[in-house]
Amino acid sequence: MLPTTDRFKKGAKETLADPVIQMSMEAVYNGFHTKRQSAGADTEGWEDQRDRGRAIKEHTIENLDYYLEMLTDNVDANGGNVFFANDSAAATEYILNLASDRDVKTVIKSKSMVSEEMSLAHEMEAVGIEAVETDLGEYIIQLAGEAPYHIIAPAIHKSQDQVAEMFKQTTGIDPGDTPKELTTTARGMLRETFQRADMSVTGVNFAVAESGSIVLVTNEGNGRMCTSIPRVHVAVMGMEKIVPSMQDLGVMLRILIRSATGQRISSYVTMVNGPRRDEEEDGPEEFHLVIVDNGRMKLLADEKLREALYCLRCGACLNACPVYRKVGGHSYGWVYPGPIGAVVSPVLSGLKQASDLPFASSLCGACREVCPVRIDIPNMLLHLRQQVVEGPPEVRSVGRMERLGWKAWRFGNIKSGRFRRGGKLANRLGRPFARGGMFKRLPPPLSGWTRSRDMPLPAASPFRDRFKKRLAQSSQDSQSSEGES
Amino acid sequence: MAITGRDAFLGRVRGALGKSPSAPAPDDATHLGLTPDDVRSAADGVRREMSEQADVLLDAVADSAATAGWKVRRVASPEDAADVVAEICYDAGATKILRSDQEVFNAVPVDAALQALGVTPGIATVGQAGTDVPALKQATFDSDVGITGVDYAIAETGTVVLHPRQGLSRLVSLAPGRHIAILTRGDVLPSLDELFTLERADYNEGAIAGSMNLISGPSRTGDIAATIVDGIHGPFEVHLVIIG
Repeated sequence: MLPTTDRFKKGAKETLADPVIQMSMEAVYNGFHTKRQSAGADTEGWEDQRDRGRAIKEHTIENLDYYLEMLTDNVDANGGNVFFANDSAAATEYILNLASDRDVKTVIKSKSMVSEEMSLAHEMEAVGIEAVETDLGEYIIQLAGEAPYHIIAPAIHKSQDQVAEMFKQTTGIDPGDTPKELTTTARGMLRETFQRADMSVTGVNFAVAESGSIVLVTNEGNGRMCTSIPRVHVAVMGMEKIVPSMQDLGVMLRILIRSATGQRISSYVTMVNGPRRDEEEDGPEEFHLVIVDNGRMKLLADEKLREALYCLRCGACLNACPVYRKVGGHSYGWVYPGPIGAVVSPVLSGLKQASDLPFASSLCGACREVCPVRIDIPNMLLHLRQQVVEGPPEVRSVGRMERLGWKAWRFGNIKSGRFRRGGKLANRLGRPFARGGMFKRLPPPLSGWTRSRDMPLPAASPFRDRFKKRLAQSSQDSQSSEGES
Repeated sequence: MAITGRDAFLGRVRGALGKSPSAPAPDDATHLGLTPDDVRSAADGVRREMSEQADVLLDAVADSAATAGWKVRRVASPEDAADVVAEICYDAGATKILRSDQEVFNAVPVDAALQALGVTPGIATVGQAGTDVPALKQATFDSDVGITGVDYAIAETGTVVLHPRQGLSRLVSLAPGRHIAILTRGDVLPSLDELFTLERADYNEGAIAGSMNLISGPSRTGDIAATIVDGIHGPFEVHLVIIG
């Protein structure tokens, strides 16, 4: 997907003014976030489980080469194929070639964020392959021609009226208007597609190094359809999605699912250990695992950002984030929105273009609090902010005017005399323009500050003067009180 | 089969980590350090617990399955279970019924109970319900009800575990609008952790199936107006019949 990360401020402004989206986003907090909080509270040893999950990810990422080798040896031994892709173009090319080689007409896709990085459905349609997103939320945004709004609820921003209108245009019949009726309509449309699919593309929630297995978590059952019906199953994963052994899955599934939706478990968890066995009744004849870098190597190489690779894509940080809940998913301009997106998108899709994203946070720490593996997102945002300001020229993106402004600021504040006189001068010059001790609007370059908040007028009698006076007063008082006794 | 592009990729991973190829030091966080013997004896312990705690675990899974969205019925005997299955099919007005070819049906006379209602269930295998895989697929999509046994159930989560294999199609528990699963005493695990201990022991012994499905309630979505609706792609109604 082509990043539009440079549009953050514009996108945020539009979203703030959109009452339909603002209403829909209430569900993010009242639904997901609240449920996640009570799921954590109801789980015995919840904090220990999180610690354990973090320790598993930390160990795996620190030894990623070893586990990637083990994983792929075992996929190979299970009768599957593995392709390592440096970028999304290489991954796309592999999958398109495979589809053409196997004479594939219809591809069903189960939700995969990596395939969103690749715009895979779009690339397939471009070469004449029917590619249908089968997660209901992804299906809706595919019809709308949009990007996902939320990691686990891609169409959270669409009202049921908007969905009804889209279904009506697609089917030409009345799709109903309640969520139940609309879901039934989608069921009919998608079941027909499932039946004729000859290839599936799924994501991977966890890959198990020791057994060469992949694990898919869904509530809808589309992951199961994708691993049951087509001849060819292609699973696409970011290179970080590994756990060492099957016995590590219990804790990982527990913390992932409870953090995502607040459920104890999702309706379906599917583990795939290669293509179908010969004696089986059904299932794909071929299994392909595509392991994608696409910029993740940069996260791995930077010790301050490495833990972004622990992310399980549960979406809890989005739901907890006061900024995400207001500016919405599309403002972030790439595949991953919210706090984790503000870290990952700039690194994967280019920091210079995405230089606003590390600043799209109040650093309140709610994301770190809810993250199942305790990723320190605020700290990574600070690290990226520093790069935006002080990094090498290819990532730095502070304009000359801003630099000049800060130089002037430094000049005015570095000496106490300048600071004192400057304050008094500002008070005298500004007094006629202030209302109730506040500037409502300042001229450029200070207009940015007053667009969303007031600026106080510097005090006529600065604190240090008043403090001096008070000090003199109190020493006088104490002297006189001593005299009385 | 084949691995493409690995050496260069792993070289870049090592470059980014600043390390040379080496096995990691054993780590307490993961279970990888356990030897096959450790895993085998842990699995033996799990099996013992399943049998010693069978009644407690059966009660627990009856509760958690109901929470997960299964319609739970507890019966005393295999004959009663067959009658309950027939009753569910009758109430649903089902005319096309498929069942897997699992051992449980030797003990639970589902076919006879259904035939008493005038319906003969099909067997969801290639050769019976379908002449080939596409025909079997068609049959599962056309059916009103799919009936299976249960390999394991999980008390923690209200989960039914199935390993697709000969006689147990991947689709018979997925494509029909209703799924009925029959659980017998002694097959309930305390939590996900015990399941993965058993799976790992099976893997070590070369006895693992091609895939595994954990099913915990009906097919669900919340993708339209954040409203939970049952029955998007898979069954909209799931029944767990517990014998014991």
